[in-house]
Order: sequence, then structure tokens, then C-alpha cells
Amino acid sequence: MKGFITQVGFEKTFKYAEMIKEGLIVTILLSIFTVVIGFILGIILAIMRLSDVRPFRFLSLDKNGRLRGNGILLTISKFNPLSFLATAYVEIIRSTPVLVQIMIIYLGVFSQLIKLPRFTLFGFIRFERFFPGVVALGINSGAYLCEIIRSGIQSIDGGQTEAARSLGMSQGKTMSNIILPQALRNILPAIANEFVVIIKESSITYTIGVADIMAAVNAVRGATFLVMEPLLVATALYFLLCFPTSKLIAYFERRMSRGTKR
Amino acid sequence: MAQSANLIHVENLKKHYNKGAVRALDGITVDVNVGDVLVIIGPSGSGKSTLLRSLNLLETPTEGSIFFHDVEITKKKTRVETVNPKTGKKSSKMVKINIDDHRQKMGMVFQHFNLFPHKTILENMTLAPVKVKKMDKKAAEEKAMQLLARVGLTDKANAYPIQLSGGQKQRVAIVRALAMEPEVMLFDEPTSALDPEMVGEVLEVMKELAKEGMTMAVVTHEMGFAREVGNRVLFMDEGKIVEEGTPDEIFNHPKHPRLQDFLAKVL
Repeated sequence: MKGFITQVGFEKTFKYAEMIKEGLIVTILLSIFTVVIGFILGIILAIMRLSDVRPFRFLSLDKNGRLRGNGILLTISKFNPLSFLATAYVEIIRSTPVLVQIMIIYLGVFSQLIKLPRFTLFGFIRFERFFPGVVALGINSGAYLCEIIRSGIQSIDGGQTEAARSLGMSQGKTMSNIILPQALRNILPAIANEFVVIIKESSITYTIGVADIMAAVNAVRGATFLVMEPLLVATALYFLLCFPTSKLIAYFERRMSRGTKR
Repeated sequence: MAQSANLIHVENLKKHYNKGAVRALDGITVDVNVGDVLVIIGPSGSGKSTLLRSLNLLETPTEGSIFFHDVEITKKKTRVETVNPKTGKKSSKMVKINIDDHRQKMGMVFQHFNLFPHKTILENMTLAPVKVKKMDKKAAEEKAMQLLARVGLTDKANAYPIQLSGGQKQRVAIVRALAMEPEVMLFDEPTSALDPEMVGEVLEVMKELAKEGMTMAVVTHEMGFAREVGNRVLFMDEGKIVEEGTPDEIFNHPKHPRLQDFLAKVL
């Protein structure tokens, strides 16, 4: 044992700089794709949860066209399949470990149900491992972002919707012009947090062989028998990714707070 | 269809909550005619605001109908008669009612202003004309500036709502509704959330509007305004219209004991 952390150790680690650089690029791409998928999925799920689609609405009226007082038909008439599906999705994803989800997607869905073509992007990203990783992380973060977006939409005063609708704006226009911009501003800190979580959580994809920072560092560990030095390099890289991300979003938050301060 | 004088006709309107345990509106029948300044007064919880908000279906009535320009907007579909210009043959078909089309013609002003806080005053005013009426942006801005000039707020065009006082916000809310060129204006307690010294400036704008012949329905606690500007006054209590008449009849010769009691307390 020559020492816990040594300069020689770092020099040995940096011999694998090329591999670590590729791992960094993989982590960045993985995070960006996950964020995009998760965000789109989150908006769709949030709108599903807040929708008012009731296919059995007609059951709420009796023969004379009056609202029923109570009974099973009234309960059925309130059933919203879209909201039910979205809620079930969110609860299942949030109540199971991301590791299990990744294994199911990679070992189950994309190995047995769907065959992915085997090729590499940029010469070092193996598509058949990268793609399931992005899908699994996107599916996971979609559930969390759905809850963030839903709470943001619900935080906007109902008077805003009423004002927009009374001006003749449709439900869709009200949502995109009035509600979402304000909701987004309110939930920006929570979204920033989720983005940082995604970057960090993407390290779990090394378990399915995605060559991200964590995988590169593990390879270096195996090749050099060093422990701390490669892990410290990984620590530094993750910090350099996450810290500026949260700062960047804080900047946008300040810019978007127009109209909230005098 | 014969053109009738009434712009809005409300027939036996009911709004029940909690399976009929609470009757916010309990069989309201009323007309709003072109040029009317209809003032609705009554104690809190009497259903005044619910009635006003039902007129543009912000509240969905439990029962009854509302006609706007003889179209029953409480229905999902309506029969539209068309004449073929070539053959002169009349035909009719069922057309879906789009409530957004009718809401454009009914401006609404709320107690809490409900300006859009993330948009400037000018953007607040041009948003709906541009997005809904597909008005040219330049033209919409010009019109908005003219309207702002009317209420003396041109210098606030690029301010955000939070930078304005309550009275200024409500004046903007009024001209925002006017920018859609509505046929009727609905006011839901427009001065109730204002500091006393700002009530006057808002009522002044409303008076001007009434003078120009705008059809208005106003829910208010400002008895002075009701007396001076209104041409018809409704007194509501417990979801019913208890008494209806000219301001003189309502304020100087109230018949119903409930109204006499109410006036004794507020005047």
C-alpha cells in the first residue's frame, strides 16, 4: 500500500482519458435524451391526469335529464380512463426501483419482445444498450415530472382560466398561453432538481453495459487496481455537470420572474 | 328567426350544489335587453354572482336555459337555417354550439381583476384579439392603445400588472374585455376588492361605458351606482329574484319586506 490517494495514481488514471471522455459524452447524451423524453411524457401524463374525459357521463342523468343524487351509476359516470391510466402509471413507477425498471426494459422488452439493430454511434456508443437506457430513464423521470407539472398547473389561480375563457379563448389556447407559462415558472426549481437527479441517476445504466462515466471509471479501476483516483475523477465530472445545470436553471428562473416583482 | 329585443334571455335557471341541498339559483327568469344597464343587488350568498357567471357558462346550470341572440347556449347543438343562394331553398341542420364564439361577445370583469401576471398590460389586451379573433398584431396594439388612452393608462402599456394599483388593474381589466368588442359586459363585483379611494375611478369608467349605450349586467354593492346608472335593478335572495324594477321603484318604494330590511342595513 503506497498511499490512499497518490499523484501517480491520477497519472495512471489519466492514461485512460480518452475512455473517460467518451463516458462523459455518453452521460451527457443520455441525460439530454432522458430529459426530453421525460418532459414530453410528463406534460402528456399531467394533462391526462387533469383531463375531464368521462365516457360514461350520460349515466349521471336519469330519464328526465336530471342529475342523479347518488348510486353506482353516478360513480361510474365519474370514471375518467385517461386520468386512471396516468395515475396508475405514476404510482407504479414511483413505487418501484429504477434498477428493476431498467432491467425489465433492457433484458425483457428490448431483448425478447423487440430486437434492436446492433450498431455504434460516433464509434463508441452501442445503440442496443444506449437506447433501452434512455427509454427506461425517460419512462422513470416522466412519472416524476408529471407530478411536478401537475402541481404547477394546479397552483395557478382558477381566475386565470376564467379570465382567458371569458375572452373566448379555447381550453387549449388557455393552457398554452396562460396556464403553462405561469406553471412552468412556479415549478422551475423542482424541475432543476429533477434534471440534476437524472444526470446522477443515469449512472445506473452502467449495469446494462452503457459506457457512461461510471462504466469508464469501473473499467479503469479494473485495469489499474486503483480505487480512489478513478472514483474521484467521476465525482469531479458529475459535479461539473450537475452544478452548472442547477445554476443555469436558476438564471432562467430569475429571467422568468418578470412580472412577479415590482 | 324573428329578431327579438332581448340580447340574453334566461328561463327558469337553476344551479344546485350537493345534490340539491344548496340552491344557489332556484328558478331565475330574466331578460337582458340591448342597452340595458341591469344591476343585480342582494346579500352575500344570494346567488347574484352565480347568475352572472352562468350567463357566459363559467358556471354550468343544473337546469333551465339561457338564450343569447335566440340561440340556446345551454344546449350542445342548435338548428341553423340556411338559404341556398342559387335555388332559394331553405334548409336546416344541427350545428354544434361553440361556447367560445359566444363568450367573445360577452366581456367579463372579475372581482379580483384576473389580469395575466406574466404578460404586460399591452400583451394582456392584445392576446385574445390576436389569438382568437386572428386580428393583425399591429392593429390590435393600436386599438389597445386607444382603449388605454380612454382610461388614462397609456403610460402603463409596457408595465406588468403587479406594478399597477388595484384601481388601475381593474380599469385595464375593463378595457381588456372591451378590446374584444363585446355586445354585453358582465361585471362581477368589480369594486369589492378595491381600496375605498380607488372605487370612484372604476365606477367612472363604467358610467362612461353605460352612457355610450353599452349593454351591461352588474353585480355590485355600490347602491349609489345602481341608483344613478342602472335602468333596471334586480334584488336577489336565496337564489330567487325577490323584486325587480327601476332604481326608483327598488330604492324609494321597496315592496318586499326582505328588500326593505336589506336596504335599511346597507343605505
